[in-house]
Amino acid sequence: MSTTITKEKKTSTTRKKAVATATKRKKATNPIDLLETKFVAALNTLDQAKPFAKSLYQTDVFQLANELACMENGITILDKYAHLFDNAGVFLGGDWEDPTKLQPPFVGNSLRLRGIYSIIEMLSEMRMLAIAKGTYKHAQITKEEANAFLNEVVALNLDLLSNKLPEDSSFLEEHIVRAQYLFNFLVQELSFKEVAEQMIKEIDRLTVQRPIITRRIVELIELSEQLLNSTLDQETFDALEKYCRAIDTPTPLSKNFSNAREYRLKLEEATEQELIAEAKLFAQSMIDTGLVSPYHVVLLRFLNRKDSEIIPVALGLAEAGISSFNDHKKLIHDIIQIAIYPQTKQAVYGLSNMLNRGVLKIDSLVPAFGQLFELPIHAEVQKQLSAFATDQSGISMNGLLIAGVVSVLGQPLGIGQGQNPTCQSARAISLWAQFEPNLLMAYIASAARDYNIEMTFEGEPIHSNLLTEGIAGDIQQDLDTISILLVPHLDKIYNAMIKRTLLRGEDGHKWVNREFYGEWIPSGFMNAIDQLTLKVKNYSAFVKLFYATHHPMYNEGSKLIYPNPVGIFLTNIHGELLGLHAVSIQRIENDQHGDCRVYFYNPNNDSTQNWGQGIKVSVAGFGELEGESSLPFHEFVARMYAYHYNPYEQGDTYMVEERLVKNVEELAKDSWGKTYIWE
Amino acid sequence: MNVNHNQTTALLGWSLQAIEAIDKMNRPFVVVGPPEFESFAEKNGILFVPWQFNVPIEQSFELYEKLKAFNVKITVPIYEETVEWAGMMNSLIFENPKIYNKSLLLRDKGLMKRRAHLAGLRVGVFEEAYNKDDIARFFNRINQALVKIDDEQLEPIHVKPFDKAGTVGHRMIKELKDIEEIEDEEFPLLMESHLEGQEFSCEAFIHNGKIKFLNITEYVKLGHSNFVPASPTLEQWRPQIKEIIEKLVDSFDVKYGIIHPEFFVTPEGEIYFGEVANRIPGGHIFEHIERAYGFSPYQGQILCCDPTTTEEELEAFFPEEVVSAKGHSGNLMVYPKVKTVSKLNVPTELKDHPYFVKHNMFIPTSSKVAERVGFGNHYGSITFFGKDPYEMRKLLEEYEKHNFYL
Repeated sequence: MSTTITKEKKTSTTRKKAVATATKRKKATNPIDLLETKFVAALNTLDQAKPFAKSLYQTDVFQLANELACMENGITILDKYAHLFDNAGVFLGGDWEDPTKLQPPFVGNSLRLRGIYSIIEMLSEMRMLAIAKGTYKHAQITKEEANAFLNEVVALNLDLLSNKLPEDSSFLEEHIVRAQYLFNFLVQELSFKEVAEQMIKEIDRLTVQRPIITRRIVELIELSEQLLNSTLDQETFDALEKYCRAIDTPTPLSKNFSNAREYRLKLEEATEQELIAEAKLFAQSMIDTGLVSPYHVVLLRFLNRKDSEIIPVALGLAEAGISSFNDHKKLIHDIIQIAIYPQTKQAVYGLSNMLNRGVLKIDSLVPAFGQLFELPIHAEVQKQLSAFATDQSGISMNGLLIAGVVSVLGQPLGIGQGQNPTCQSARAISLWAQFEPNLLMAYIASAARDYNIEMTFEGEPIHSNLLTEGIAGDIQQDLDTISILLVPHLDKIYNAMIKRTLLRGEDGHKWVNREFYGEWIPSGFMNAIDQLTLKVKNYSAFVKLFYATHHPMYNEGSKLIYPNPVGIFLTNIHGELLGLHAVSIQRIENDQHGDCRVYFYNPNNDSTQNWGQGIKVSVAGFGELEGESSLPFHEFVARMYAYHYNPYEQGDTYMVEERLVKNVEELAKDSWGKTYIWE
Repeated sequence: MNVNHNQTTALLGWSLQAIEAIDKMNRPFVVVGPPEFESFAEKNGILFVPWQFNVPIEQSFELYEKLKAFNVKITVPIYEETVEWAGMMNSLIFENPKIYNKSLLLRDKGLMKRRAHLAGLRVGVFEEAYNKDDIARFFNRINQALVKIDDEQLEPIHVKPFDKAGTVGHRMIKELKDIEEIEDEEFPLLMESHLEGQEFSCEAFIHNGKIKFLNITEYVKLGHSNFVPASPTLEQWRPQIKEIIEKLVDSFDVKYGIIHPEFFVTPEGEIYFGEVANRIPGGHIFEHIERAYGFSPYQGQILCCDPTTTEEELEAFFPEEVVSAKGHSGNLMVYPKVKTVSKLNVPTELKDHPYFVKHNMFIPTSSKVAERVGFGNHYGSITFFGKDPYEMRKLLEEYEKHNFYL
């Protein structure tokens, strides 16, 4: 390896000599050549150092790499030597040492850090590129894998791919300049088509889960618009364009009049046929992507005044939805009038789903909606929601709340916890939106009007406005309006309930879940961890009982009626324990291949995670419904630590084969189980 | 290496530079260091004895037993805190208790100053302080003695811990209120009168009580910048300096290893003794020696610590002082002059200067700058190398004023 460096160095000197004879003065003043020589020398010194002493020489390489990467064409020079980085020990002893452990989603953050980490990250991409180009052969990473890695990195960070190179870089921070040079170099080396395909994959992955909050998706689509100008094949172009138009102008008419006023004026002149055509296209785009165009709102508000018969078409309603629409015309008219505005446009999708779900059949829900229209809103709540109502669109606080309710009832599995440690609260809202909309409406009304929610725990009332502490400190505002309204209260109440069970020597969820979520949660409860010793106890019984109560082959055919709120160990790609998490099992059924899968709701809304040991959560392709994640039964069991069960609907545990238990136990022991003592 | 060296050397203290240097000498060695380095050492096949040096020296027999198992014949101190441990280990190895007692002299700035004074070296006025009142009294008495009345500029004094390396905890007291900044836990401290003149350090490599190589490091600004070898202005005093160091070696009875004393020289050539250490100097001085002379001072130290090293080996190892240097190697240690760092500002003229070798400054990931304690904790450093010592001095002075962190 050191010989290679020397050789490289030699060639570069001979080249320089040739240049020198031609333009003597230029060579003397060309700082990039001097830097290259210094960089090669530093890399060579590092290469010759023994492994234990590498860290003494890495800094010099990082420093010079940084200088180079901040110059135009500097990345090209780094690229010349990138195949030597690993053997020289550039990454030895740090987080970047083993490229098989690197993950594309983390690259963007590292590159955006100031200082040394972003330099190492940049060099790591150069190494990956060398693998992708075949100049460096890595034992565990193929060219194709390296290529896919880089495509994903570029796709996830398209904002770093500025169309022009940073000419006036004085206002940009060094690490951003460097990252932009890197990305401009990477796309020259990679193909735009693959980057675009990766981007589509990423957008597909996020949209298929149909989250209520679509900010991240919209950002990605807006970023990828620039790719439409590059050379793509028709299929890729169409897929990308579908998304770009979905958030903007998915119909011919809206495309021609790209502002709301002109479009509205044009609608006045349109024929019935034209209106229906528009309505169909909007509905189709929305159903395909889960994304709503602002012009869709203009059309809907127009139809609400002039031609309400076309509304079911514009909402893409199915039979059940149409009948629900016909039964509640007045309510729907009012909802659109008060709550559907351009900035609440995603609620159109919620409305469509809510009607299709037939939620309004529940008797008391219509009056509950009626109450919300006139509800006086508490000053604190007005403050909380003010971020949503800053523009001059004229939407009222009540309108915002109603739009929020519509989204939650229409997309109960699209509720997310954002960046907050409030999975319990998000899960609660999701469960109520599915099975107890009345209760949810009562909490919403109480929180909005009184800034208080009351629940009882074992007969004693708990008022959220009398509590100061929740589990989360500050609640981040990256949530839907209903979550912003309810989560602070729910978080405190949940915390208060858990506190009351702390001394019981058993997992408090056994009691809290039934009181907090609802009485319909089965009273049987099992935790793999002994709460007194914090050791894993009787794990095989834990697994067997879950099979006997939940697996269709062992539970005598009992079906899950309500979702089961369970606790899981969240693990990273290496199977290492990250923490505890709350999800709910929605259903357990066989997929199209006849394999039994657990379909569950994960409030983190980024559910396609790799949990290590080949356990990859899927969100599509195995019959998942909107917002559902799924895993093969045994893989899910291997990550679970607590569940509820109904003792009256239980098969016989002795019918569960030992080999199944052993399989699960091995997966558990070799991942999160390493953090625990096993009895 | 010579067959005589087929015996294990123990490095006391974890230093990758020292480990790398001894590794290249092809002689058996073991590193004694804090337990947190154990897994790294094991991974890299470095023989390692985990040891905490902040435990009472009474536990040294335990360490001795461990080293005996490795067939250790000499120990080499790397850090200030390991000097008395090396003294104790070598006492046990050579069955000579005085080695330990002598090492203690080099660990207590009050004791070493007395000893130097007794040996006839010129020293400033000094005393030990156990509380803030002691410092105030000393400060006042010095100024009384110099007949400084209130209106005039008061004569500053210096205080430093007895047993810390280099500039750690060193403070200059210019007025009484400076005393208030000292924390109670910093006591006891050594107080000294301020000495005017050019400050410099020496790195003397001693074998069998004789100086085998004497480097003089010129300080441009204490704790900020220095270079090796010194300029002719300072080197002109080399004979006198050497004589004083010989006196020091004799009176402290230093037989093997390196000493790193600091002095002041007045324009008239009067040399004042500051302090002396028995370990690897800070301020990148070893790097400078290596860059200027082309030999590894770490290896030099190991050779000098080993009584079995022959005269011929030493002769062959050390080059001729000053004349054999390929140039002057210097560096500037950089401290942010701002509270939060948002940008690095390394001027192109600096990077284009032929003397510029490298710098190791990065924008810190956390923008908040750690508070500076005494003369300590620098953020980065810039290395220079060139032929002309006065150009070197000029560069170091000039860029010392520059704001590298914005």
